[in-house]
Amino acid sequence: MFGATGLRVAALYTTLFALSVVALGIVTLFSIRQALSEQFDARIRSESAALVQEYRSEGVHGVIDAIREHDSTPGALDFGLQGPDGRPLAGRLGAARTAAGWSLQHDGPRSGEAIRMFSVALPNGYKLMVGDEEERVEALDGAVVRGFGVALAGVVILGVAGGYALSRDVHRRLAAISGTAEAIIDGDLARRVPVRGSDDDLDRLALTFNRMLDRIAGLMESLRQVSSDVAHDLRTPLTRLRQRLEAGLADPRDRGAALEGALSDLDSILDTFAALLRIAQIESGARRAAFRPCDLAALALTVTEAFAPSAEDNHQSLGLIAEGPVWVDGDAELLTQMLVNLVENALRHAGPRARITVTAVRLGRAPVLSVKDDGPGVPEADRERLFDRFYRLERSRSTPGSGLGLALVAAVAKLHGAEVALLSAEPGLEARVSFPEAA
Amino acid sequence: MKLLIVEDDREAASYLKRALSEAGHAVDYAAAGRDGLMLAAAEPYDVIILDRMLPEIDGLAILRTIRASGVKTPVLLLTALGGIDDRVEGLEAGADDYLVKPFAFAELQARVNALARRPPTQDLRVELVVADLKLDLLKRTVTRAGRRIELQPREFQILEYLLRHAGRVVTRTMLLESVWDFHFDPKTNIVETHMSRLRGKVDRGHGRELIHTVRGAGYVLREPD
Repeated sequence: MFGATGLRVAALYTTLFALSVVALGIVTLFSIRQALSEQFDARIRSESAALVQEYRSEGVHGVIDAIREHDSTPGALDFGLQGPDGRPLAGRLGAARTAAGWSLQHDGPRSGEAIRMFSVALPNGYKLMVGDEEERVEALDGAVVRGFGVALAGVVILGVAGGYALSRDVHRRLAAISGTAEAIIDGDLARRVPVRGSDDDLDRLALTFNRMLDRIAGLMESLRQVSSDVAHDLRTPLTRLRQRLEAGLADPRDRGAALEGALSDLDSILDTFAALLRIAQIESGARRAAFRPCDLAALALTVTEAFAPSAEDNHQSLGLIAEGPVWVDGDAELLTQMLVNLVENALRHAGPRARITVTAVRLGRAPVLSVKDDGPGVPEADRERLFDRFYRLERSRSTPGSGLGLALVAAVAKLHGAEVALLSAEPGLEARVSFPEAA
Repeated sequence: MKLLIVEDDREAASYLKRALSEAGHAVDYAAAGRDGLMLAAAEPYDVIILDRMLPEIDGLAILRTIRASGVKTPVLLLTALGGIDDRVEGLEAGADDYLVKPFAFAELQARVNALARRPPTQDLRVELVVADLKLDLLKRTVTRAGRRIELQPREFQILEYLLRHAGRVVTRTMLLESVWDFHFDPKTNIVETHMSRLRGKVDRGHGRELIHTVRGAGYVLREPD
């Protein structure tokens, strides 16, 4: 059996429609009755006015002739005329006892039917009565009630049938959504809710649902990627650590060196862990609450100053181009770490005698932070992948580094709504972080 | 010195306790937040080493409680790996310093020493002197044996930090945090390169060296023996 929700809605609407048909019927009935009564009364009035006119021009015999003529015409009204002594002179209503004005008589001339009657006093004590059967109005009531009865039946049948069809459709589509959810619970993560393309509420719900599923699938995929990367990239240093410890155990003379080596291996493993956790925290977006205006130029000055002696020792040069202040809304600590990672990358990979330039400027209204070197550069095909966790160029495999530096850069940039790109500086490489335009 | 360790990992705590005792400190130890809170409020300690994550009462809650009850003992907060917000939260709750787990024992020892003999918060000295080395905080000048030494701004800051902690070990991380405000670990040896330049200017050409490297720990500036 299909969904109770659809059925309940259909029942509710059918009931509401039926009630409105009944209400409409009642209103119509009373309006028709009212209109008919007024119409009948008007006819009675005009007939009596005509007879009063007849009396004035032709006298009482003229009236009697007119009444007799009416009485022989089928479908005409009923009339009556009484003399000054109350004697009936003519017409079917001649015997009626009534005061002047409107009244309802219950002893009609044919079979005691109800008569709506208007009586008017003529000069010289004569009395004229004009009336009509009340039943004619009531007969019309029946027709109205029958008409609305048929309409009501139609509404109920249409309501029930339509509700049934509608709720079966809604149920089918909801069942498709819950079926998809069930399939996903059972492990089929690739399932998606079918979309009709009708752009109605349920279709939009299905689209949102599918987008949510895509997002979850994306997160799952990156999580899977990270765990396999972690497993792969930590296996090497962990293996080395184990070997060192075993060597130290085996040969007491080497123990000091082995332990020291083991400690340094362990520190690099912990660094990798710390970087991974940090990236995960940044990606969760929780740091955005702590955003404050930061001056990229001042930040770039601190970092270039800090690294200039190291560059000098490597026979490299580290310069700064800054038009300060360059304000961005952000997390100073993370932005500093981002720039440090970019500068360290350049120091490590640009080679001896490289010229490295840090730039903090505003291009138009958009703040830009860039680190450029004139080293060997990176082939275009590899540039995007450098932002992936643990990705390292073949030629850098032997140099120290966790392969997480640029992944952290990408995470910090994304947190700040900034675009980060690796460009060819011809020769060399430029890492450019473009922040959104200041509001 | 009299120290209190509040740490729920018994093995880690007993290692710390032994190592600190061997370094000549009297060490109390509480495994649970409640005991830690009671000891911290009742006993006069020189430094409290407090784990951020504790069962029952959280480390930060203990910190806030003892600060609210007027205990001014310096607190070194131990925070978890990768927790970027822990430092700010800890300092706001009243910690005097923090250390990310896992840490080198030398780092902990250096920080405990730095905390315990911390000068009053308002250090009004205008001249820092060790042997024949003088640093004038107002004029921003440094002289050794009366001869002027020209320093870069960062070198001046490093020397000032070493002089303020004269006789005590200063670690690489302590310098990164106080001089550069770097709360992460750069892969480049920026402390070493700055230090070697500073030593070149301060000690070269003078018979007696004032700045010494402490292997596996950091640096110390002290009077020659």
